[in-house]
Amino acid sequence: MSETFEDQTFDLAPLLEILEGYKDQKGAVIPILQRTQEVYGYLPKPILKEISKRMRIPLSRIQGVATFYAQFHLKRRGRHLIRVCDGTACHVKGAMKTVDVIHEQLETPPGGSSPDYKYTLEIVYCLGSCGLAPVVVVDEKVYGQTEPDKLVRQLKRLD
Amino acid sequence: MIEKATITIDGKKIQARYGQTVLQAAREHGIYIPVLCDHPALPPEGACRICLVEIERQRTLQPACTFPVSEGLVIHTHSPKVMEARKFSLELLISDHPLDCMTCEATGNCLLQDLAYEYGITGDRYQGEKHSYAIDASNPFIVVDRNKCILCRRCVRACTYINGVEAISVFYRGFNAYIGFGADSTMQDSPCEFCGSCVEVCPTGALWPKMTLGKGRPYQLQKVQTVCTYCGVGCQIELQVRNNHIVNVVGVENAPVNQGFTCVKGRFGNDFVHHADRLTKPRVRKYLLEGGKRAGKERGEWIEVDWDTALEIVSRKLIETRNTYGSDAVGLLTSAKCTNEENYLMNKLARQIIGTNNIDHCARLCHSSTVAGLAISFGSGAMSNSIEDVTQQAKVFFVIGSNTTEQHPVIGMKIRQAVRQRDAILIVADPRQIPLVDFATLHLQHKPGTDIALLNGLMYLILKNGWEDKDFIAERTEGFEEFKAVVEQYPPEVVSEITGVPQELLHEAAQIMGTHKPMAVIWAMGITQHTTGVYNVMSLANLQMLLGNMGIPGGGVNPLRGQNNVQGACDMGGLPNVYPAYQPVTSEEAAKKFSEAWGAPMSTKVGMTVTEMIPAAKEGKIKALYIMAEDPMMSDPDTNHVRECLEACEFVVLQDIFYTETAPYADVLLPGVSFAEKSGTFTNTERRIQLVRQALQPLEGARPDWQILCEVANRILASPENGRKVDNQAPYAHWDYRQPSEIMDEINALAPSYAGVKYERLQRGETFQWPVKDEHHVGTPILHVGKFARGLGKFAAIEHIPAAELPDEAYPMILSTGRVLYHWHGGELSRRSQGLLEIYPKPLIEVHPEDAERLGLNGQRRVRVTSRRGSIVAEAWITDRVLPGMVYANFHFPEASANVLTHAALDPIAKIPEYKVCAVKVEAVE
Ligand code: SF4
Ligand code: SF4
Ligand code: SF4
Ligand code: FES
Ligand code: FES
Repeated sequence: MSETFEDQTFDLAPLLEILEGYKDQKGAVIPILQRTQEVYGYLPKPILKEISKRMRIPLSRIQGVATFYAQFHLKRRGRHLIRVCDGTACHVKGAMKTVDVIHEQLETPPGGSSPDYKYTLEIVYCLGSCGLAPVVVVDEKVYGQTEPDKLVRQLKRLD
Repeated sequence: MIEKATITIDGKKIQARYGQTVLQAAREHGIYIPVLCDHPALPPEGACRICLVEIERQRTLQPACTFPVSEGLVIHTHSPKVMEARKFSLELLISDHPLDCMTCEATGNCLLQDLAYEYGITGDRYQGEKHSYAIDASNPFIVVDRNKCILCRRCVRACTYINGVEAISVFYRGFNAYIGFGADSTMQDSPCEFCGSCVEVCPTGALWPKMTLGKGRPYQLQKVQTVCTYCGVGCQIELQVRNNHIVNVVGVENAPVNQGFTCVKGRFGNDFVHHADRLTKPRVRKYLLEGGKRAGKERGEWIEVDWDTALEIVSRKLIETRNTYGSDAVGLLTSAKCTNEENYLMNKLARQIIGTNNIDHCARLCHSSTVAGLAISFGSGAMSNSIEDVTQQAKVFFVIGSNTTEQHPVIGMKIRQAVRQRDAILIVADPRQIPLVDFATLHLQHKPGTDIALLNGLMYLILKNGWEDKDFIAERTEGFEEFKAVVEQYPPEVVSEITGVPQELLHEAAQIMGTHKPMAVIWAMGITQHTTGVYNVMSLANLQMLLGNMGIPGGGVNPLRGQNNVQGACDMGGLPNVYPAYQPVTSEEAAKKFSEAWGAPMSTKVGMTVTEMIPAAKEGKIKALYIMAEDPMMSDPDTNHVRECLEACEFVVLQDIFYTETAPYADVLLPGVSFAEKSGTFTNTERRIQLVRQALQPLEGARPDWQILCEVANRILASPENGRKVDNQAPYAHWDYRQPSEIMDEINALAPSYAGVKYERLQRGETFQWPVKDEHHVGTPILHVGKFARGLGKFAAIEHIPAAELPDEAYPMILSTGRVLYHWHGGELSRRSQGLLEIYPKPLIEVHPEDAERLGLNGQRRVRVTSRRGSIVAEAWITDRVLPGMVYANFHFPEASANVLTHAALDPIAKIPEYKVCAVKVEAVE
């Protein structure tokens, strides 16, 4: 079974399997959302609606939980998460230049993803490695004293 | 026993109770502690820190709204430390608040403003970052201005704990937090039902009724408490009026039924009162002025006339008809929308002035089977318990054939509260996936028209497991053995086959019912509107006797009455077989009582029901019809046939506030007034009599219905042509009432169950449930305590009988009919409320997705539904609310009214039509 919402088709089978496991625990919003995010990569609105309908949990309560915790993502995310630090030290060293270059060359706006969902770009405030400013973390890997063009070349090489 | 605790607040010693919060104790003793997030109707939240107080031996200030009372607390509510802390909290709130009180709607009704005033906060101390949210005014009822939101979460709690749908929540956190709906959509696209409970509790201007924008400050409004006219729940509402216009409506806080909350219709649906369609001049057909005769069914053109002319014609024609054809050639339809006093007068007009028992009204079409069925089983046909005891004490709710959250919304809310907050068990039996199913433990989705089989099947299992209440059966009932013999024919295999309900579900339901007490049974049209309506009701009576659930709080038989005063219209003798308070017309004693009271001979012959009168008009047996505020063209089954009958009727008087669908078939139109323009009483579904207070001057040209009836009666009495003698010396012969309270005095004298219903008492704020035996009696919240009205309760042996018209090859699907949340009855009022029409603007026919696919609707939204009697075209709503093989239509819209399709197959006892089942075919239309 699959359903099409807003031009996007989701396979509901894995969701149903998750929900089956929580059949008698209506209070388990957080674990349900965690497992759902593991499967779908993020929490698409139609999936939240589906959870609400099948678990009979009010949608607004689910949305409240999903927005309260930073661990949940409501937008589809790229395969690689680029976090550019714009804390004071990095800002002074021109962090925003990196952001602009990534935006331009990888078509990835801050807070958004590239059209092919290869990258997602987030701006964060101080990663605790100010000595290496400007700092960028790609997935789990830390890049210090970054130069925008070089960074982009490295990013392009990711699959 | 709840333990007391002595606490000291501001030097004053008070007796508080354990379990209370400091705030609750203070409130109870009239000590003021300011609050923002706390609201007496909601659980405490402790979010705003305005209620901080100093409690000795506590290191920090504590919120009074969450701090529990204990022995010996010493509390200071206004110490310098407290004042400073409150100021700080207020400064912070105001720093992110638009300071536009001059134009803000909430001015004068805003807690934040009041507190800023009290604490001298101007808003210039902190200049923080301010939000700038777009205002959401996309729905017809409520404006959401998040800039004014202080995140007190009152709305969230109201939607969760009062309404129960939980459409609102707080999204994100910290500075980014805001209130949102559904999955962060507009209010309209969320599960919101627009009950307005959130608006009621919002302390600021963040949530505001749209209709009130720019219409006046709270202190410029005149406030009148009255009763909602939209359904039988009987919520008390406060009409806020300026310049003879209703500009806002709120719930009455201490109202016994609704405690300050309402549904969407009661709060936002009252603008019909001011609709341009209101009739303001009497009209008559031209031929009546020319003294001529009508040319067949063509009634000819309307002429507006003055009241004298119209009333003169009405009385002359009624006298003529009676003199020529006899009293029983006249039929009267009274109104479940009008007051008790008006219904009483209509009954007096029929029986005293005309001399006929041909009086009836819409109750025939909704609960006549309830009244008849319960009268047979118990001896009294009304809801046995109160909304309060049922919703607060039932351990199990068995809701069968009632779409409670849409039809009796405030009771629906209370059922949701009971399920959510005290884990009451809800069993829903309904062919449709009604919204309440979301809250149910079990849903028995039986096929339409198989209620008896279902109930017998449940009782079979209850008996088989020995769960019946043996003492109750032995002491309080009769007929058990015959009943048992029939029920034994309904084992689960058989019942499952007839009803389509899986056997396991039958077992589960029977077990819940058999092992939890008390259980309340709640029903409405899904039970009554069948050819087996009376038997369905008697089966429910059987069930409640079997389980011993009668005469106890939280139990009982609870038919939910539809219209605002349908209970009262029945109580007042608006039925062909009874005088007021159900004194039978066939009884010589009653006839004597009323002929002595009214000074005229009484007929002991039972009159015609509405479902008989209308066809009798076509057959020429009824020559004149006097219709007060009823719309048979919308509400009665088989519209095409009703049309023919009305066309044939020689003389039809219609008294109403709008030019309804029935109006084209009238000869005289008399403009009445709405509930807001007159006073009187309504009796709600739980037999509670409440005062309707006049809030507006009657629309110029229109007159209160009771005055019109008096005019007609007095003219007939005074006419030399009048062939019927009335002894004007009789104590209640006259029709000179100066105000409705004088009509009630007469009702007190003649209707024993209303004997103690005095206006002085009502005006003092008393409301009571009949029977009210005398001036000192407080009324009767629960009927049949210790003893049934008829003595012993009567078990009846009842067999399943299939519906009158079942699907066949030509008409393969089942049509069921009913209403939706946003509309009411034939839609005469709700279609004339701008907001209600905007939110539900057109008729929709519910079709199951499987059928939609089979019919090839794919994308094609319009369907034609045809029965043997007629055909309608409307948009399909593809939804699993209905079962496959079934469609559902409402009767709110004349362009596609379900009653074109329904048939007048009647229950043999109550004469109620089978609206809930008929056979149809459904096709896609280009
Ligand atoms: S109007 Fe009623 S249902 Fe809608 S959000 Fe407010 S409280 Fe909830
Ligand atoms: S909208 Fe009103 S009730 Fe709701 S949180 Fe904001 S201020 Fe409180
Ligand atoms: S529940 Fe009924 S009486 Fe109460 S507000 Fe709604 S329509 Fe009016
Ligand atoms: S400011 Fe960028 S790592 Fe601290
Ligand atoms: S009223 Fe107590 S914290 Fe808001």
